[in-house]
Amino acid sequence: MTDLMTGTAASVHPRSAPTRIWNVVRLHLVDRRTYIGIPWLIVGIAFVITVFIAQIIGFTTGGLGTPDAIEGQRYSWAVLSPQWYLVVVGVQAISFGFPLALGFGVTRRDFYLGTALLFVLISAGNALAFAVLTQLEQLTHGWWLNSYMFNALWLGLDGFWVDVFSFFVMQLLVFFVGASIATIYMRWRMPGMLVFWSALALAIVGTIMLITFTSSWPTVAIWFVAQGIAGIFAWLLVPAALAALGGYLALRKATPKN
Amino acid sequence: MTRTDPDTAVRVAGLTKRFGTFTAIDDVSFTVERNKIYGLLGRNGAGKTTLMQLLTGQQFATSGTLEVFGASPVENARVLQSLCFIKESQKYPDSFRPEHVLASAPWFFANWDAAFAARLVDDFRLPLNRPIKKLSRGQLSAVGVIVGLASRAPLTFFDEPYLGLDAVARQIFYDRLLEDYAEHPRTVILSTHLIDEVSNLLEHVLVIDEGRILMDQDAEQLRGSASTVVGKKTDVDAFVAGRDIISRDGIGGLASVTVSGLSEAERTAARAAGLELSPVSLQQLIVQRTTSTTGSPTTHDAVTATDAWSTHS
Repeated sequence: MTDLMTGTAASVHPRSAPTRIWNVVRLHLVDRRTYIGIPWLIVGIAFVITVFIAQIIGFTTGGLGTPDAIEGQRYSWAVLSPQWYLVVVGVQAISFGFPLALGFGVTRRDFYLGTALLFVLISAGNALAFAVLTQLEQLTHGWWLNSYMFNALWLGLDGFWVDVFSFFVMQLLVFFVGASIATIYMRWRMPGMLVFWSALALAIVGTIMLITFTSSWPTVAIWFVAQGIAGIFAWLLVPAALAALGGYLALRKATPKN
Repeated sequence: MTRTDPDTAVRVAGLTKRFGTFTAIDDVSFTVERNKIYGLLGRNGAGKTTLMQLLTGQQFATSGTLEVFGASPVENARVLQSLCFIKESQKYPDSFRPEHVLASAPWFFANWDAAFAARLVDDFRLPLNRPIKKLSRGQLSAVGVIVGLASRAPLTFFDEPYLGLDAVARQIFYDRLLEDYAEHPRTVILSTHLIDEVSNLLEHVLVIDEGRILMDQDAEQLRGSASTVVGKKTDVDAFVAGRDIISRDGIGGLASVTVSGLSEAERTAARAAGLELSPVSLQQLIVQRTTSTTGSPTTHDAVTATDAWSTHS
């Protein structure tokens, strides 16, 4: 194999697998706005809106910073505002990234591993950033304005490391769900979508029916409470891993659409 | 095959690709020699893009063997790193600008020449920071052409690269390709409709029609493989009697007949008989040969096809 293309001006020195995979990560990040710029812009806008709404509510109810008011802001989904955009980013990582990477002579395997590595890195970065912001928000008592955006839903309840872990898992799940749906489309086109969504709907309805008919809702509720925040997110690693693995298996035989 | 043949870039044998019941590539066999410019010619839907997608591992063959630089290109990082295939319908991420394409290309093409790319950007007047979605058809084609040229991949595919390019831009493409090819020899496979425009570029011609290879011939040989004989109808008829006639035309007492394969002695004889000989352009030749086979194939087409095979088997 070493005699290959020797003596040709246009010969290529093969690049190692880690270099090739890292280059896929760089390809996804060549336009920084997609993974970093726009998500944080959305967070910024959501933050400004949250502050305004908190002040309006504080003015009308006559008090911010009371335990009740802080508790009330927990129901805001503003902290998850970039996630709707990031599902789409996960879809586009495959639907646009895959045809481009193949045009650049990347193997399906290298493309998928590079894309998965990117998802892990971005998820880790976002998890750390959001967990730090959650802590800062507590330290500054709502940014000196009694406005809480990051201490919402499950965040800020069980401490820094549970926040990091849970956000990381959620972010991974968002990326891999988006990517695996795009991969099913890339591989099987419209019939694949029909089968996937029908199967998913049947599975959800079937599960609800099973729990209802066996009168197991109290058991389910007790189970969820027993898991705690960290436990529930540990379980969410299962669908994330399934989506990641399923996406890889589907992509191995996928062809870019024209 | 345990060793890589140093002269062969592509070797295809019995290659077939079916999409459901539609056979896009039908039992195709050919080889591509290294460091030559090939023309992959054929009508719309003939199978040119599918063939290139198979050669670059983007599509999976239904049956047959396919070797690029001695191995199957499918999921083969070593082979794929030596290829460049930005197809005419190439998709780019929604937010991409040409600058993003040119910034990332060097990570994938080891021979990338940034200075050459910059010069081509000037030549094609490509706006680097306009979103790709907002580029004109010609500017979009220019992105692909620039990547194809500046990547200097040992095996480069251009799939109808001129789409939407104006005449000046197309000429720039042909000029730059030839200049750079002279300095950095590599294998180029160019698919196009504009046969006469690229006719001087091509060293070898592959004509594909309805998924089959119709012609696989040296371009120079192909150009000399037919001549048009013009003169008085009676003289022309007498001269071409018994020859392989490709096409016939005539007004009144004048006739113009295209025949294949005239030797030097026969040419002299024709001139002595007061007949005029004119060369046939590559495009005319290919149009004549492909249109004559779309109906029921006649015997002489079968013979020509066999001739083309035998010269390259």
